[in-house]
Amino acid sequence: MTVVSVDNCSKWYGHVLGISDITWQLRGGVVGLLGPNGAGKSTLIKLMAGLLRPSRGSLAVFGETPFHHPEVRRRIGYAPEHEKTWDELTAIELVTAMARLAGVPRERAGKAAEAALAAMGMTDAMRRRVKGFSKGMRQRTKLATAIAHDPDFLLLDEPLTGVDPIARIDIVRQITRLAAAGKTIVVSSHVLYEIEALTHEIVVIHRGQVLAEGNVYEIRRLIDRHAHRIRIECDRPRVLATALAIEPHVMKISFERTGVLIETREPDRCYDQLATAVLEHGIAVTALGSPDNNLGALFDYLTGNRR
Amino acid sequence: MIGSLATTRLIAAVTLRRLVRGRALWVGGIVAAMPIAFAALLHERQARATMNITDVTAFETLVLAVLPALFVASSIGEEIEDRTTTYLWSRPIPRWAVLVGKLVGLVPVVIALVLPSWFLALQAGARMTPSAASFGAFAVGAFALSLVAATIATLVPKHGMALMICYMLFFDLPVGALPGSLQELSVTHHVRVIADMLDRTAESAGLAALGCILIGGLWLAIGLVRVRRLEA
Repeated sequence: MTVVSVDNCSKWYGHVLGISDITWQLRGGVVGLLGPNGAGKSTLIKLMAGLLRPSRGSLAVFGETPFHHPEVRRRIGYAPEHEKTWDELTAIELVTAMARLAGVPRERAGKAAEAALAAMGMTDAMRRRVKGFSKGMRQRTKLATAIAHDPDFLLLDEPLTGVDPIARIDIVRQITRLAAAGKTIVVSSHVLYEIEALTHEIVVIHRGQVLAEGNVYEIRRLIDRHAHRIRIECDRPRVLATALAIEPHVMKISFERTGVLIETREPDRCYDQLATAVLEHGIAVTALGSPDNNLGALFDYLTGNRR
Repeated sequence: MIGSLATTRLIAAVTLRRLVRGRALWVGGIVAAMPIAFAALLHERQARATMNITDVTAFETLVLAVLPALFVASSIGEEIEDRTTTYLWSRPIPRWAVLVGKLVGLVPVVIALVLPSWFLALQAGARMTPSAASFGAFAVGAFALSLVAATIATLVPKHGMALMICYMLFFDLPVGALPGSLQELSVTHHVRVIADMLDRTAESAGLAALGCILIGGLWLAIGLVRVRRLEA
């Protein structure tokens, strides 16, 4: 079943572009929206949450436009990016009110709020006012407001921004648990390793457009036409460079303080030849790695912004 | 889904709770106490009682200009500006219920501050008990101006409170003092008619109350349309 269907959807804020002509479908699972600040991630999330109307094209969640159909928003849990909330209330009061507004009956709302806060590790702080909360506690409380009414579809805008490592682990664990329970979850972030911790299914957004989508490894294959970089730290970088320089797939070799950086079109073959050269010349390798083996490099490739 | 009435009630209760725990109520209390202090000062100077009534009434009208701005415009404006409305707009509730819920929570507070302020100010300044008509006038005025304040806040959230005060100082109060039919656009003019504070009998209190409600209702209608289209 299609959870989200975006069809040639654009959104402008006056003359400022939010998203541009996006066509995208989401059928389920956890999907990471990846992109720098201002890329259009929050705009897309707000469109899905029913906070914005498309300027052009259409966007449907569970077959309905969320801006015009309040009933579909019952199935959506949204945690906004910003920190501000009703600070004068206690966490339990806030989450209970939000659960009630999401349609949880009065007699069950308190229990649902307690359970949501407990899931976010906020049991001890739930009777305290939000005003005195740290950023991490606010994030947890926001997430509790998003999950308290047991929605089918969660929209989490930068849920890991500014949280401490312990909170991060808790939140990641909770999102993973919700995904395992069959919820569809969209998580946005501009910090790449945050997304990696949550999912391998990503949508890369830049300047309001979807640059790539799918499994991160499939996307890697898409970009294999780009040079892959391998960094080797060793005792004799010049010898190693000489051995590899004659290979046609090697595009560029540059020397660094403690090693060499090789750019190749054929990473697998290059790794093989690298191993052979090391053995043949008795080179002592202290470190081997690729700056391209993370989402950061992937994003840089896709946006043409090589580091 | 939660019903519209339950939504309105819930929003009103939360609004009231937030207000009680915040600082605005204290500031509102101080504003409402100002006419009382002013009237007591006038009385101390032993001015003539009729002069006192005129001055105290004018001062109380200013309070009527400030309190809806302080409570209603600032509350709604901040909510939109701080984007806490995103929590509400993303829920399966009608948007009008949010605006109406806030008004249900805040308008009684405005009225509850204005009426004792008026009573105590007249007592302190002229040793008089205000007429029932004047109580009604201030209550209707506070109600109508709260609707105006709510709509101004939805139109210009960032400066809702300041613009509401400007609206009162540069439109409602001056227009109300003008001769001719233009003054029908002024809530404070209608308040004075209902309270029987004008030296003429051409206008009935009932029509003036209707005028207040029409002005407030028109503004509220604009506010509801605005809220329906508002994006977060």
